[in-house]
Amino acid sequence: MAKVLEGPGMGLMKKWGIHVPHYVVVTSADELSKLGQVNDWMKQTKLVAKAHEALGSRFKLGLVKVGLDLNGAVAATKEMIGRQVGSITVSQVIISEMVPHKEEYYCAVKSTREGAEILVANCGGIEVESNWERVKRLCLDVGQTPSPEQLEKLAKDAGFTGSVAKRMTDFAGKMFTCFDSEDAQYLEVNPVVTRESDGELVALDAVTLLDGDAKFRHPDWNFQFAAEFGRAYSKDEVEVMAVDSKIKGSVKFIEIPGGDTAMLPAGGGASVYYSDAVVARGGKLANYAEYSGDPPDWAVEVLTEKVCSLPGIKNIIVGGAIANFTDVKKTFGGIINGFRKAKGGGKLKGVKIWVRRGGPREKEGLDAMRLLKDEGFDIHVFDRNTPLTDIVDKALQK
Amino acid sequence: MSILANKDTRVVIQGGAAGVNAARRMAEFCYLVKRPLNVEAFVYPPDAGKTNEIPYGSGLIAIPIYKTIAEATKNHPTINTSLVYIGADRAMKGGMEALDDSHIKVVSMITEGVPEKDAKLLGAHARKLGKVFNGPSSIGIISAGACRLGVIGGAFDNLVLSKLYREGSFGVITKSGGLSNEIIWICSQFADGITTAIGIGGDAYPGTDYVSYLEMFENDQQTKAVVIVGEMGGDLEERAAEWYGAKKRRVKLIGVVSGFCQESLPKGMKFGHAGAKEGMKGEGSARSKSDALKKSGAIVPPTFGALGPAIKDAYQELLKSGQVKEPVEPAVLPRLPKSIEEAMKADEVMVAPLIRTTISDDRGDEPCYDGYPASELINKGYEIPHVIGLLWDKRLISKQEAEIIKRIMMLSADHGPCVSGAYATILAACAGIGLSQAVAAGLIMIGPRFGGAVTDAGRWFKYAVDNKMNVDEFLAYMKKNVGPVPGIGHRVKSLRNPDKRVKELVGYVKSLNIKTPCLDFALQVEQVTAVKKDNLILNVDGTMAAVLVDLGFPVDSLNGFFILSRTIGLIGHWVDQKRQDSRLIRLFDYLVNYAAPKRREVPPLK
Repeated sequence: MAKVLEGPGMGLMKKWGIHVPHYVVVTSADELSKLGQVNDWMKQTKLVAKAHEALGSRFKLGLVKVGLDLNGAVAATKEMIGRQVGSITVSQVIISEMVPHKEEYYCAVKSTREGAEILVANCGGIEVESNWERVKRLCLDVGQTPSPEQLEKLAKDAGFTGSVAKRMTDFAGKMFTCFDSEDAQYLEVNPVVTRESDGELVALDAVTLLDGDAKFRHPDWNFQFAAEFGRAYSKDEVEVMAVDSKIKGSVKFIEIPGGDTAMLPAGGGASVYYSDAVVARGGKLANYAEYSGDPPDWAVEVLTEKVCSLPGIKNIIVGGAIANFTDVKKTFGGIINGFRKAKGGGKLKGVKIWVRRGGPREKEGLDAMRLLKDEGFDIHVFDRNTPLTDIVDKALQK
Repeated sequence: MSILANKDTRVVIQGGAAGVNAARRMAEFCYLVKRPLNVEAFVYPPDAGKTNEIPYGSGLIAIPIYKTIAEATKNHPTINTSLVYIGADRAMKGGMEALDDSHIKVVSMITEGVPEKDAKLLGAHARKLGKVFNGPSSIGIISAGACRLGVIGGAFDNLVLSKLYREGSFGVITKSGGLSNEIIWICSQFADGITTAIGIGGDAYPGTDYVSYLEMFENDQQTKAVVIVGEMGGDLEERAAEWYGAKKRRVKLIGVVSGFCQESLPKGMKFGHAGAKEGMKGEGSARSKSDALKKSGAIVPPTFGALGPAIKDAYQELLKSGQVKEPVEPAVLPRLPKSIEEAMKADEVMVAPLIRTTISDDRGDEPCYDGYPASELINKGYEIPHVIGLLWDKRLISKQEAEIIKRIMMLSADHGPCVSGAYATILAACAGIGLSQAVAAGLIMIGPRFGGAVTDAGRWFKYAVDNKMNVDEFLAYMKKNVGPVPGIGHRVKSLRNPDKRVKELVGYVKSLNIKTPCLDFALQVEQVTAVKKDNLILNVDGTMAAVLVDLGFPVDSLNGFFILSRTIGLIGHWVDQKRQDSRLIRLFDYLVNYAAPKRREVPPLK
């Protein structure tokens, strides 16, 4: 799942005929001033300024300002750009028109096992969250397109009447078309509002999650996906992602500040069991990492160096199940090189390394790891006869 | 028995290199269980019409490659299963093509990163047709003793260690490819092994989920228990629990779920496979799945580490109740033939070498010349002549010797376009011939009459010196036994028009005050021959030969100095013609003396 920020998210909705407020995404107050000179709506309506970053609780952080005129928006932009929130520096601000309205509604489309479901409610904002039973659903099988009758029934079931029902029918249909055409996994508009000027339904705030795997058939996805955990990616994370995008197989790395147990396991499945074992043993994870699909040794070496650079670590868990086709000797060669580099750079002092692995060329790989002892590494190596996560138990024994 | 994959499974593999690799692994398994290879065909349009060679035992089997599934199944009507190894952007089309073929009942997709919508469409299409679509991102399916689809099971040694050569009593369903092997291994160590293990793939919406496979296992009398390895995210484990708890089931269900670490991680942080994500409202957490499984009556070990003992307990119970019997292991298992390299490494075979070398070895990270690493030679100031010394005479020559060789090469590098070698190269270049062939054409000219007299000159001067002959004795010997003295005589140069190159080389060598018996002898010979005839002077071949013999180079290497030096010139001539875009040369008639018979009538054929 790939999260998309509001700007590009609204862009996709607009593309499929959904009314959205006028908006611009700017990177400086000057840019906004200039845009103000050529865009009449900026002078004619009240404006909202929001930090355009993957940040939660922006309102509380003062990164959402409403009811502004153009000068106010320029001032707000000036204030927000460059603000540091945790690891994120605000670099973009989205300025949109305030849409005067009275009623708020809710509409979403969500991926399900069978296909998708369209959710509609005739209340919106925080009201819908506390009245979830008012949300009505239309379930669709994959490949199925909702008929106008189905959509109309959905709107009516949700309590819409008259011309608003008709408009909601139309709105939900467009939401589904956008969802289906853009390989979305989740689209949510909350609130949908009736614009006072013309009575049209307008999407005021949007959550857009796309299927990153479908990027190959969407050449117009010219935006970056946002980090999904409320912080920006660190330099090391970005570096590992860059390696990951270049190679056959994969390497993954996410830092968890404050932990003392570093993870360097193989496999998307086993890595989570290793993380579980650390938590179950009362350990604190310093990171998540994983390599799989027989990646090249240099990629594993880069990953290893990043893991060794984590601050305050006491143990490194080089775990892994019995591989199907990942060459243990080759990938361990990368890990060994990474360890040597880290040690040469003065890292790994007092750090214990725990190894468990099986798979093609397991004996050669494990033997090479054992030899690190002679180079002064505090390393403990186990083969397939030691159950998967037992090395975590050994590492975290008090 | 087993499910999905059995002794009658015949396979078409859609895809290129990854598919070929899978076929190799499948052939290893077929060999282990003493069955013919179950791969019938490949579908890979770029190579259609060719074959892929798959090693089986110590032999190779040629498997045909087709353009379409329809062609493959027409030629191999027993095909009933397809494995898809096509890139994510074309995987759906390939999967649909396979599903739509009436011969094919099971399609397993290995491709990772397939868009969710495509996976759902494939799954729905298969259900509509009453077929099985497994995956995407599936590591494969393996039925012990019967059939392997994909690389699941890993290397040959692991197949043996995990006792996959014969049936056990445990079914396995995992999302994770890596863990499938781990569970198979655990089942073989803590119990009697597996019936069938299925990788369903780690995506959010696998084409076929736990419940469908649990149904199949429930109907397979050989399977007594099923192990499922789950992950947080989605509701597949909950649905499995629901199925299990719905009524009394014949099979035992053992389940573990990963993702408990999520509870103590920063919000929104998610790990692992694409499907491993928490729902919008907290559903799909490891705990809710684990609780659901427990509630349904499944055995749920608290950690992955406790899975082995749990499987053991279940097995002991099955033994006690008489539902299973201790398996009998076969006395002898086929062993995978080793490659020559592996066998030699293990000191198991000796191979008579085909060739022997005494000069060079590049098996390390860089070439070694007579044992010396090239980079070290460079960094310690050695030059091309030293490399010649090492490769032609297996010795590290001195600085002085190197200087002489360098001068010889510089003097012989080229001699204008009119000599045989250069002319041949130019002729070839003008005919549009490539560099190596054109240079070879020039080199072919080097022989007794052009540039190829160095070795012979060296041989006979050395013969005279070794046998302490005087000039008269030598000339008499040569006249009687050999003919004209090689290295003596020039087409255009003479005493009055001396060869500057000879003068230069002799002058330099003489100035060094080193012993040069051959050169001295050759100069004495010239004194005598040049008196007889003006152009019977010591030529450049003879001079080089004498000097090089004096330096100790083997006689047989001497022509090499001319060949090597002149190659520099020949390359120059070829490049020169190329640069000018020279036209094809045709000899003018007036340059030919037509001495052939006049035109005449051809007599009737007898």
